[in-house]
Amino acid sequence: MGVEPERLSIRGVSKSFGPVRAVRNVSFSITPGTIHALVGENGAGKSTLVKIITGMQPPDSGEILLDGKVCKFFTPLDARRHGITAVYQDPKLFPHLDVAENIFMGFHPRTTFGLVSKRTMYAEADRMLADLGVKMDPRALLAGRSVAEIQFVEIIRAMCADLRLLILDEPTASLTPAESDRLFVVVDSLKRRGVSVLFISHRLDEVRRIADRVTVMRDGEHIVTAAAAEMTEADMVRRMVGRELTSLFVRGESRTPGAVMLEVKKLSLPGVFENVTMSVRAGEIVGLAGLVGAGRTEIAESIFGIRPPKSGKVVIDNVELKPSNPGQMLRKGVAYIPENRDDNGLLVDLSIASNICLAVLDRLGPLGFISRSAETRFARPFADDFEIKTTSLDAAAGSLSGGNRQKVVLAKWLGTEPKVFILDEPTHGIDIGTKSQVHQRISELAATGYPVLLISSDLPEILAMCDRILVVAAGRIVAEFARGEATQEKVMVAASRGSRSSDAGEERP
Amino acid sequence: MIGSSSSVLARRISTTLSRNTLRLRVFSVLLSLVALTAVFTLTTTNFLTLENLKVIAFNASLLTVVACAESLVVITRNLDVSVGSIIGLAGFIAAKFASANPHAGPLIIVVAVGIGLVLGLVNGMAVAYGRVPSIVATLGTLSIFRGITYVAGRGIEVPSGNLPRWMIHGADATVLGVPLVVLFALLIVLVLAFLSRSVPILRRVYAVGSNPGAAVFYGLRANRVVLFAFAVCGALVGLAAFLYISRVGTITVNLGRDWEMMALAAVVLGGVSTTGGSGSILGVLFGALILSTIDNGLVLARAPEFWRMFIQGLAIVGAIALDAGIERRIKAIFRHQRY
Repeated sequence: MGVEPERLSIRGVSKSFGPVRAVRNVSFSITPGTIHALVGENGAGKSTLVKIITGMQPPDSGEILLDGKVCKFFTPLDARRHGITAVYQDPKLFPHLDVAENIFMGFHPRTTFGLVSKRTMYAEADRMLADLGVKMDPRALLAGRSVAEIQFVEIIRAMCADLRLLILDEPTASLTPAESDRLFVVVDSLKRRGVSVLFISHRLDEVRRIADRVTVMRDGEHIVTAAAAEMTEADMVRRMVGRELTSLFVRGESRTPGAVMLEVKKLSLPGVFENVTMSVRAGEIVGLAGLVGAGRTEIAESIFGIRPPKSGKVVIDNVELKPSNPGQMLRKGVAYIPENRDDNGLLVDLSIASNICLAVLDRLGPLGFISRSAETRFARPFADDFEIKTTSLDAAAGSLSGGNRQKVVLAKWLGTEPKVFILDEPTHGIDIGTKSQVHQRISELAATGYPVLLISSDLPEILAMCDRILVVAAGRIVAEFARGEATQEKVMVAASRGSRSSDAGEERP
Repeated sequence: MIGSSSSVLARRISTTLSRNTLRLRVFSVLLSLVALTAVFTLTTTNFLTLENLKVIAFNASLLTVVACAESLVVITRNLDVSVGSIIGLAGFIAAKFASANPHAGPLIIVVAVGIGLVLGLVNGMAVAYGRVPSIVATLGTLSIFRGITYVAGRGIEVPSGNLPRWMIHGADATVLGVPLVVLFALLIVLVLAFLSRSVPILRRVYAVGSNPGAAVFYGLRANRVVLFAFAVCGALVGLAAFLYISRVGTITVNLGRDWEMMALAAVVLGGVSTTGGSGSILGVLFGALILSTIDNGLVLARAPEFWRMFIQGLAIVGAIALDAGIERRIKAIFRHQRY
């Protein structure tokens, strides 16, 4: 250790929840003015460690040193007062209040009478926004800001209290690439002011790009801390999963696809997407690539009848129709698995078996009565087939991890014997190990002859999984690539070129 | 974000919409007040007279104070359905105290407000620390407070003749033709409206209602803020009870019955979101004015009592449906921008 103490030293920190040892004897240090990445699979103990650092949970043993002094925080506010703040994936802000109040809530600038000094508040907010190079009206309501803007508000809020360590928990998960770039510029300016940043991300390319040092955790243990320049993505992945992984799951040899099962003809919904035409054959996986917000989800929702299209037709197994509601499309054999599993795809309080049976309830018993045992009987083969990791099918679906939840949703739809699968971001927020299991499952769907339309923002995933790749930008299909000819660069160029021309004002300078 | 020029336009419109929704909402309340006035002016003979407007203002003043109190609780994502019983208990005890101590003076106000405060604290403790859902907790205290009033009353009523002179006179007094009670209520509401925008703790009331989960990250102790809202609500309702007893002829143990419904109606009509976080005190003032106008107009139009209740219920459901629609729109915009 040099003359200057480390910003944060974690020494022998452990934490158990019942029999689960979430964090085991972890020690590492974060240097002042550096960006320190923390990577690991889901359940590696990253979140628990963050909770310990920010005082949400006390450690069972071990200590934390801030700038060389032992610190014990009892609440997140306590940690904040010492200059440690975490920005989480789901914004911890107040949508009904304006931007400035969101920054100052809890420590409003006051007049001599103890009232809120609005003039100081808005002026300060204006200054801080400008300081970080963010263009935003401090008087605007928070509801209506983009995810990126909301994160900037959280960061600015954090900076009010002599920020020393900023923890970003999966900050880019729901940002567009352009928004991520803006965030990185902000993070960089923090770094230059001497703030340390603990950056947690599943996106290893980002880690390589912005981090100075990387710490890998696995099963609650500290595996390695090294300079980012010395670790390739493959190095990080290998240490995260503890086994060699040459790359993501790659599908085997290409097969000859069968007949066209899903055909979309000139589908339009003005203002959202225009003139979308595509087809998916039996046994084929077609990818819809593009930037977040390009209209891919909207196209899928339209095919499934959630957003009925204004014009155009959908042909499923040679039956032509115009989608008008999800019930109709379900009966025609469309299985749509939405992006947000917990909101749209899973009833977290119901049992795993009930969830698997949800779409086929009318088939489970006489006169529409359903018995538990019939549910379990029906669900069992699917659960086994999908290797859903659980002690019992009666356990609540909410008790499963992200990857296993996704498997339950897939199993549910497979039970309806659909003709077409539409998967929207099936591996969003899932750790790498489970991710490749989900990939394997999807490719098995295709191998058994199901046509699959796969929406994903994860380029390596699209490249590894799809037979054909359609690029959507600004509501139109702007490019198509066969499996062999697509590269990340080509897809990215098509996706950004198609959108930038019409929406230049929104892009980063 | 990415999108065609049309979606950029749509977003700009939607942003403006969401920013102005609250203003639009208050405006719509004002507009319906004007419409109601027009309808009653045309259908009844003596609606738009100075004398009648004074009656409306008089009736609205008490309701406004109670509704503003209630709105503080609603903004925290809770409900207080016991306000009618708080009026009953605080009012009845204060009246008994006043008739037993004719020279008590302003101490009577202290008694009424104090009882209201204590009852509000009881509600607040049950909700904030007992973790009882507010509608259940206050439904319970609705019965409990009323029951205590019955026990304390033992079937006895307090005739207003037993109250100190200054209370009776105060209720009838006018300043420049405006009843003193109206001015007093207006003062309370305006002060509260001002404070709700500039007192840190009241801003926290909004914050906690807007996103209770976020409150802990801001160091806001949500349960304290909720307790505070219930306590202030109780105290204000106690104050309203004091105004009430100086006005009614005979103070019975049934004082303030069904007021919770009227107060809630005024709150939701005034545009306070039942899902918490938003709403303005001035909106509530208009909500109370509308209800009082409807009441008055129906009496003048000789409509049966049933219609009063029917319209009150319809107004509640209609206003909440309207708000739910607005909220849905905002959320749809939000989602569209996110993904």
